[in-house]
Amino acid sequence: MSETVGIEYTKVAEIKGPLMVIDDITKASFDELVEIESADGERRLGKVLEVGFGKAVVQVFEGTTGLAISGTKAKFLGKTMTMPVSQELLGRVFDGLGRPNDSLPEPVADRFIDVNGEPMNPERREYPTSFIQTGVSVIDGMLTLVRGQKLPIFSGSGMPHNILAAQIARQATVVGTKEDFAVVFAAIGVQYSEAQYFKRSLEESGALRRSVLFLNLADDPAIERIITPRVALTVAEYLAFDLGMHVLAILTDMTNYAEALREISAAREEVPGRKGYPGYLYTDLANNYERAGRIKGKNGSVTQVPILSMPADDITHPIPDLTGYITEGQIVLGRDLFRKGIYPSVNVLMSLSRLMKDGVGEGKTRADHMEVGNQLYDAYSRAQEVRALAEIVGKAGLTGVDLKYLEAGDLFESHFLKQNHDENRTLEETMSRAWDVLSSLPEGELTKIKEKNVRQYYKGKP
Amino acid sequence: MSSNSALERTVNKVLSQKESDMITQIDSAYHESMNNLESSRTSIESDYERIIDAARKQADNLKRQVIGSTRLNARNKQLLLVEAAVNEVFEKAKVALRSVGKDENYKQLMNRLLEEGLSAIGKDDMIVECSKTDMELVKKSTAFSDRQKKIKLTLSEKPIDAIGGVRVRSADLSLTYDGTLDSRIERLKPLIRKSIVQMLRGEG
Repeated sequence: MSETVGIEYTKVAEIKGPLMVIDDITKASFDELVEIESADGERRLGKVLEVGFGKAVVQVFEGTTGLAISGTKAKFLGKTMTMPVSQELLGRVFDGLGRPNDSLPEPVADRFIDVNGEPMNPERREYPTSFIQTGVSVIDGMLTLVRGQKLPIFSGSGMPHNILAAQIARQATVVGTKEDFAVVFAAIGVQYSEAQYFKRSLEESGALRRSVLFLNLADDPAIERIITPRVALTVAEYLAFDLGMHVLAILTDMTNYAEALREISAAREEVPGRKGYPGYLYTDLANNYERAGRIKGKNGSVTQVPILSMPADDITHPIPDLTGYITEGQIVLGRDLFRKGIYPSVNVLMSLSRLMKDGVGEGKTRADHMEVGNQLYDAYSRAQEVRALAEIVGKAGLTGVDLKYLEAGDLFESHFLKQNHDENRTLEETMSRAWDVLSSLPEGELTKIKEKNVRQYYKGKP
Repeated sequence: MSSNSALERTVNKVLSQKESDMITQIDSAYHESMNNLESSRTSIESDYERIIDAARKQADNLKRQVIGSTRLNARNKQLLLVEAAVNEVFEKAKVALRSVGKDENYKQLMNRLLEEGLSAIGKDDMIVECSKTDMELVKKSTAFSDRQKKIKLTLSEKPIDAIGGVRVRSADLSLTYDGTLDSRIERLKPLIRKSIVQMLRGEG
């Protein structure tokens, strides 16, 4: 932290949406933190977006509502935005800008870290290979999350992505090790009731003491949302790489983040890209998503689960589209399953965990894990085809094997996929349920599983 | 007579057949009941195991939850106590700073703060503000007198409420450099807080 005091300017030339243009600037730097003081003494924070020709464009995080051109002062603080970090952050609740939101004092900082983070040296990155158990069968069994992975959840409006996110936050563990595990939860533009749900859910499960919550509510200024994932990931990186913890960072809802980015871009009169989002949306999203992983020689890891709601369930929308390019797979929630009352309504055929193959198997989870996952994909895919066929020709026109697939598909949804909001299944239980589903098929159909595993686990009639 | 004995035989036969049927039925009912009892016992045992298992899980969860929230509450109370102590230290430090004598070190500090402020604003017409007790000190400082020869520099007659230090402003009041000790303390508060907390906890 610098000792020098910044200069306070009073010449506000223009206020436009979330932006403020300040005149007669002599000293200002890109990304510098600015303290805005309104005529009635209210203080807000902002950062410099552009400097030049004696002017500075400042983005006001808490919005410009109530600010007037005359009487407003802007103090340039000579530093970028930092987050005070220490182990004391665990169990604390902050707002979207990293200020305490739990009636407790500011944390005593070990360090002050720039919220923009430092890029991870690609050469020092370690390939993620260790399993994280979420207690959710469909994720653990078929879309395994691996320490250091970034695996987004693509959802739609009204679907239970937040319930799933809270369940993952409560239940996630690194099995078989005594290493510390922490959850950093960033709620971006969520409703008050949702924020309370997250908080209560972690409190009631006793998981709050190993969690840090950042809550930006729907009625908070949209511009704050630009900072929320950054402060959250800064804390996640500190806990992981300074304190050696395994951190699961859940960011929900990244669509609100992208909307805020679009708002600023429009106010800056930038040339819009697809659907009005700025052309640098990909880069900006990557700046956040790439803040996950493991570093050689360090114990901790940052695993990211960003959640985004797809406008009109459109997976080709720029936000899920660009997210999919950056992340290592995706978990897609399906509206058909949601309407059938199945929770979690994960559409497995559209979902994928690209790093699953490296995090499962003998010595990590179970020897048959990958094979069972693949066989379940195969069986459910065939079941879906048979369901479509049955709608045309009727059940009577199906073969005996087709009927078995139909049965396996139903069993997959009711016995394996479906689970309660508070049901924490062990991997053994998940695998046992997977074998229950696969055992409803004739043994000869299990072509993706090694014979010795079929002999050991198949529960059907020989 | 013979017809009577034939009737008797028939009745006996029917009776014995009925008796044997009833015994068979009783036997089969008995076996059925035993089977039902046996299967019920298995299902009751498995239900019992399931209920006990669920209760154990719930007890574990509750235990974790109670321990977690108790630890968290204790930690939070400690944070509040530490913060109250830190605030008290700050208040006492400010009182002590106000009453400290204006020695040679303070004169040098004022000179440096003034130099910094004048350089930061860098205009040809500037106003210097300070507390009532520091006015003479500012007038006599080399930074003030040297600059006054080159540019228009005014010492505001209206004193500011500050522990010490100076505030430099451009004459049109569009730029302000706050070099008061109050603003410096406020700015460095997070770092000072850390040192105070470490002392309170007996660390370092």
